[in-house]
Amino acid sequence: MLEFIISNNVLCHAVEAMLFASVGCAILSVLITQMNISSIGFTMSHAAFAGGAVGAFLGFAVLPSAIIVSICIAFLMGPLSDRTRMNTDTTLGVMFGTMMAVAIFFISLMQGSGRGFEASSLLYGNVISLYREDIYALALITITTIIFFFIFYKEITAIVFHKRLAEISGISVAPVYYGILFLISVMVALCLPIVGGLLLYVWLITPSAIAYQFCGTIKKMFIVAPLVAVVVSVFSAIYGILYSLPVGPLTAVVFSALFIIAVVISPKRRVIIHNH
Amino acid sequence: MQFNDPIIKLDSVWTTYEGAARPVIKDVNMQVHAGEFVLVGGPNGAGKTTLLETIAGLLPVIHGTISVCGNDPVHEGCKVRKKVGYVIQNFDFHPFTPFNVEEIVLMGRYGKIGWFKRHSDYDFQKVREALDILGILSISKDQIGKLSGGQQQKVLIAQNLAKEPDVLLLDEPFSNLDILAREEVCKILCRIAESGIPVIIVSHAFDAMPDIDVRVVVMKDGHIVLNQMAKPSDVSNVVRSASIAA
Repeated sequence: MLEFIISNNVLCHAVEAMLFASVGCAILSVLITQMNISSIGFTMSHAAFAGGAVGAFLGFAVLPSAIIVSICIAFLMGPLSDRTRMNTDTTLGVMFGTMMAVAIFFISLMQGSGRGFEASSLLYGNVISLYREDIYALALITITTIIFFFIFYKEITAIVFHKRLAEISGISVAPVYYGILFLISVMVALCLPIVGGLLLYVWLITPSAIAYQFCGTIKKMFIVAPLVAVVVSVFSAIYGILYSLPVGPLTAVVFSALFIIAVVISPKRRVIIHNH
Repeated sequence: MQFNDPIIKLDSVWTTYEGAARPVIKDVNMQVHAGEFVLVGGPNGAGKTTLLETIAGLLPVIHGTISVCGNDPVHEGCKVRKKVGYVIQNFDFHPFTPFNVEEIVLMGRYGKIGWFKRHSDYDFQKVREALDILGILSISKDQIGKLSGGQQQKVLIAQNLAKEPDVLLLDEPFSNLDILAREEVCKILCRIAESGIPVIIVSHAFDAMPDIDVRVVVMKDGHIVLNQMAKPSDVSNVVRSASIAA
C-alpha cells in the first residue's frame, strides 16, 4: 500500500502494520481508559496471547486461535462476574492469571521442543515477519473500528461518560458495549504478532494516557491519541529496522518516555493564579 | 391509553436485585396520574430508590404487573426510559472528566434521537432551555468534574428536563443543594407537574416543598404503608408519623 513512498519492502510492511495497529489501538485506548476498563484490556490482550500460544503449540495458525480465545473471553467476562457474584475486577484478575499461566505453559513446552523462535515471536512480536494478509486484516479491523466509532459516536460518548446514565437516557447500552469488547478482542489478537503478548497492553493504554494530559474534551482525545500513536509507532518501526533494534520493545519504551514527558509538562497540573 | 388512565400503574409488584436473596419491594400497588406531584418518604432501606428503578425499567419484576406511559418497563425498558426522566442519587465525576455541561445535558436526548441520527438544532435548543431554567446557562462550556456538587446536581436535572420526559423521577434531588437552590428547584418541579407531567421525588428533605398539594407515599421494609394527599406544610409530619407507626 505504501510502496510508492517506501521502496524497501520489509520496512514498508512494518510501517503499514504499525500504522494500522496504532490507529485502531489508540482509538480503543481512549475508550478503555475513559470507561475505566483497563483491566478488561489487560485480560483480553493476555487471552489473545494464550490463544496464540495454544494454537502455535498444537500446530494451528496463531492469529485465528488468538482471535477465537480473545472473543470468547470478551463475551465470558460479564456473565462470569455475575455467576461468581464477585467484583468484576477480581474475576478479571483470576482470568488474567489463568490466561498468562496458559500462555507461559505452552510457550515453555514449545521452547522445550526446539521451537524457541516461534515462542519468542509470541512473547515479543516480530513486525517484519508479517504476511500481507495479516496487514490487510489489520487494515480491515482498523477501518471497521473507525466506521463503528463514527456510526455510534453519540452512544459511545454517552457510555464513556457514564454507563448508567446512558442506559437511563434510553440508549441500548449492551449492543454498543459488546461491540466495543468485540473490536478490542479482535484488535489485540491481530496486534499480537507485531509487539507480542507482553507489550500489547502499552498500545491499549498509553496513547490515551498521553492525549489525556493535553485534551479537555473527548473529541480532542479521539484525534490526539491516534496521532501520537502513529508518530511513535512509525518512528519506532523505521528506527528499529534501520538500526536492528527490537521494534516492539522500542515502541513501548518510546511511548513510556513520551508519557513521562507529557505528565511533566501537562497543563492539567498547572496551578492558575488569578490576579484581581 | 385513555385520557384518565394512570400514567404509572403498579399492581402487586415485587422487585429484587440480581443475585439478592430477598425481594426489595413487596406487593406494591400504586397509581400516578398526569400532573401529580408525588413525594416518596420513609426510613433508609425502605425500598424508595428501588421503586424508582423499577418504574424506570432498570430492575427485574418477579411478580405483578407494571405499566409506564402505556409500556411494560420489564420488556420494553429502553422504550420506557426514552420517555422517563430519572435523576439518580449517587454520582461521582472525576475532576478531569473530558465532558462539558452542554455535552452532558445533550446526552439526555440521545435515547430520543435514536440510532444512526445526529443531534439537530432543536436538540441544542432544548439543551439551552433546560440550562436556562436551572440557571446554569453561563457554565455550559465548563467541565462537569470542576463543578460543585450542587451544580452537578443541577446539570443532571437539566439533562432530564432537556429530554422532554413524560414522567420525571428524582432520587434525593435536593441532597447537594443549598436552601435557596432547593426552593428554586422545587418551584421548577412544581411548574413541570402543573404542565401535566407527573413528578415523583424520593427525599428526606422536607424544608423545600411545592406550593401545591402533594401525594405522600411512605415506604417501610419494601411495602407502601401510606399513600395519601397532603398539604405541603403537613408533609413532614405525615411522613414521620407513618414511618413510626407502621
